[in-house]
Amino acid sequence: MEHTQELAKALAELKRITGITMDVTADSPEEAEQALTQIRCLCTAYREKYNKADFLQGLMTGGIPAYDIAERAARLHINPDEQRILFLFETKEIDETVMEILKSLFPAQTKTYLVPVTERTVAVLRPVRSGESEKDSRRIARMIVDTLNTEALVQIRLSYSFLFDSLTDLPEAFRETSLALRVGRLFYSEQTVFPYNELGIGRLIYQLPVSLCESFLKEIFGADIPNSFDEETLGTVNRFFQNNLNIAETSRQLHMHRNTLIYRLDQIEKHTGLDIRLFEDAMTFRIAIMVLNYLQSERNN
Amino acid sequence: MASLSLEGIQKIYPNGFHAVKDFNLEIEDKEFIIFVGPSGCGKSTTLRMVAGLEDISGGTLKIDGKVMNDVEPKDRDIAMVFQNYALYPHMTVYDNMAFGLKLRKVPKDEIDKKVREAARILDLEKLLDRKPKALSGGQRQRVAMGRAIVRNPKVFLMDEPLSNLDAKLRVQMRIEISKLHENLGATIIYVTHDQTEAMTLGTRIVVMKDGVVQQVDTPQNLYNTPCNLFVAGFIGSPQMNFMDAVCKVNGQDVTLTVGDHVLKVPASKKKALIDGGYDGKTVVLGIRPEDVHDSEAFISNSPDSVITSTIKVYELLGAEVFLYFDVEGTQMTARVNPRTTLRTGDKAVFALDMEKIHVFDKETELTITN
Repeated sequence: MEHTQELAKALAELKRITGITMDVTADSPEEAEQALTQIRCLCTAYREKYNKADFLQGLMTGGIPAYDIAERAARLHINPDEQRILFLFETKEIDETVMEILKSLFPAQTKTYLVPVTERTVAVLRPVRSGESEKDSRRIARMIVDTLNTEALVQIRLSYSFLFDSLTDLPEAFRETSLALRVGRLFYSEQTVFPYNELGIGRLIYQLPVSLCESFLKEIFGADIPNSFDEETLGTVNRFFQNNLNIAETSRQLHMHRNTLIYRLDQIEKHTGLDIRLFEDAMTFRIAIMVLNYLQSERNN
Repeated sequence: MASLSLEGIQKIYPNGFHAVKDFNLEIEDKEFIIFVGPSGCGKSTTLRMVAGLEDISGGTLKIDGKVMNDVEPKDRDIAMVFQNYALYPHMTVYDNMAFGLKLRKVPKDEIDKKVREAARILDLEKLLDRKPKALSGGQRQRVAMGRAIVRNPKVFLMDEPLSNLDAKLRVQMRIEISKLHENLGATIIYVTHDQTEAMTLGTRIVVMKDGVVQQVDTPQNLYNTPCNLFVAGFIGSPQMNFMDAVCKVNGQDVTLTVGDHVLKVPASKKKALIDGGYDGKTVVLGIRPEDVHDSEAFISNSPDSVITSTIKVYELLGAEVFLYFDVEGTQMTARVNPRTTLRTGDKAVFALDMEKIHVFDKETELTITN
């Protein structure tokens, strides 16, 4: 019986990762199906045992129990107790060019591991060199972004974790970087590098349950919670906040008469009950906008 | 090389932040355009939109007449240079320059030709076998430029490429970049926050603030005829002196009063103040430090533009002296000849070159007299 396309693919994959050439003789479709399952299991088992990226991916996503980490790491010649940092970045598509650039940036001898996480994200587990501290993390993050921007000309966002001394801390580092990437994308979209410890109020909002966010918005806007504010209002408010609630400076920058600006601020007060010329109300409004953005993104997801 | 057209370009981030507003600019082939402005003014964001590294929220970007808004960055035929040298530490200079071409599967002999040609232009021929750590900062930045050159792009985009270098190297590299522009005949867009870099390199400069283009002009025009208070203060080092002054029109005579000092406005500047209805209004008087004179000859020839003060700080820079003093509570700087006898604590008399003054509307901050 001829090999099905899937069986041929599985055999090719087995050869690629193990070097073993195998042939299957199946007399019926059922037998071919059984062989396919077995070959796939063989591939998975081999990857789990011998593939560093697979091991690290499993570890990051919590798929490997703590008691098993040291032994499996030793088997793969990964030092479990070395100080490291995790960078996580996302781009439209992780293609061959991006991986080639990363491999050239972090060759094998640097003991840096590149771990594809999804089709759009790759984690870079890098040892911390002697003399390097948390301060260097931003520089390295910037270097990765700039290199990929220069060479691959791709849009990229990157987050990084705290420095950790043991592989057992990798799952926590991965959680932190994943969170930083999501929070950064949502609340600080004008930036490209998101350190785990600079997420500010965005982190707080992101970790609130949706129901609590909705209650907060209800408290502020009443039953009629706006889906979002129009671009003009948001632009005006953002500029007003950037200028520390200074009407003269904001109206000058927006090229509008100060009375027009005051009228717009009055309109916001009329609709929301918040006079954003006052610090308390300005703060509430700012947080409300962030919560609205968050809920919007949750709905879109 | 190429021409570019940016029509009404906008950048609004999903969180509502309006980074760039209604950016309009036509860039001719082979121009060296500088985007300059303080941190956060939107200059890098605009450059990144040209590169395709940021999506364009509104407006149209054209390169050689073709709309590029939705074209992938790699298909825009551009090359970027950042302040981070972004070199591969384990590769030689040659390999660093060749790497991008290898990724594009360019034939080996063509890569070799291009790398050697770029190395010749950048004077890197003797360093081709070295690794980045064996190079100086300036040499590393030249390699980064070499990587851009080998691509033979239509447009070079440079984002603060000299920021990581020390002052001396920066001056040296400025000259190199200028030569490079001449040799390649390239269209270059260059982002910097350093106005000296902007003034020395650009054929035209775009001054930005808060996402808004303030003025687009040649370095000379920006210096001589700034369109508003921001441009006047941003371009020039030390920066232009500013004082609040009350404008008084008396028949055909116009004066600007700064405290006890009454300064007579020359004929060339009078009309705009009279026509603008500034009689009795407070305006902002601007004058560059080199137009504040301490020489007796100038003072005796300009009795209607004299100010007096006490020298607070005397700074000798070798070829020139900066004198700092206060006029009606505003700090002023005069750039004078090193042979001046004035020292800290001295009572001083200065005369302003009134033909060189700039007068700005206090409310709109726009220029009145230029």
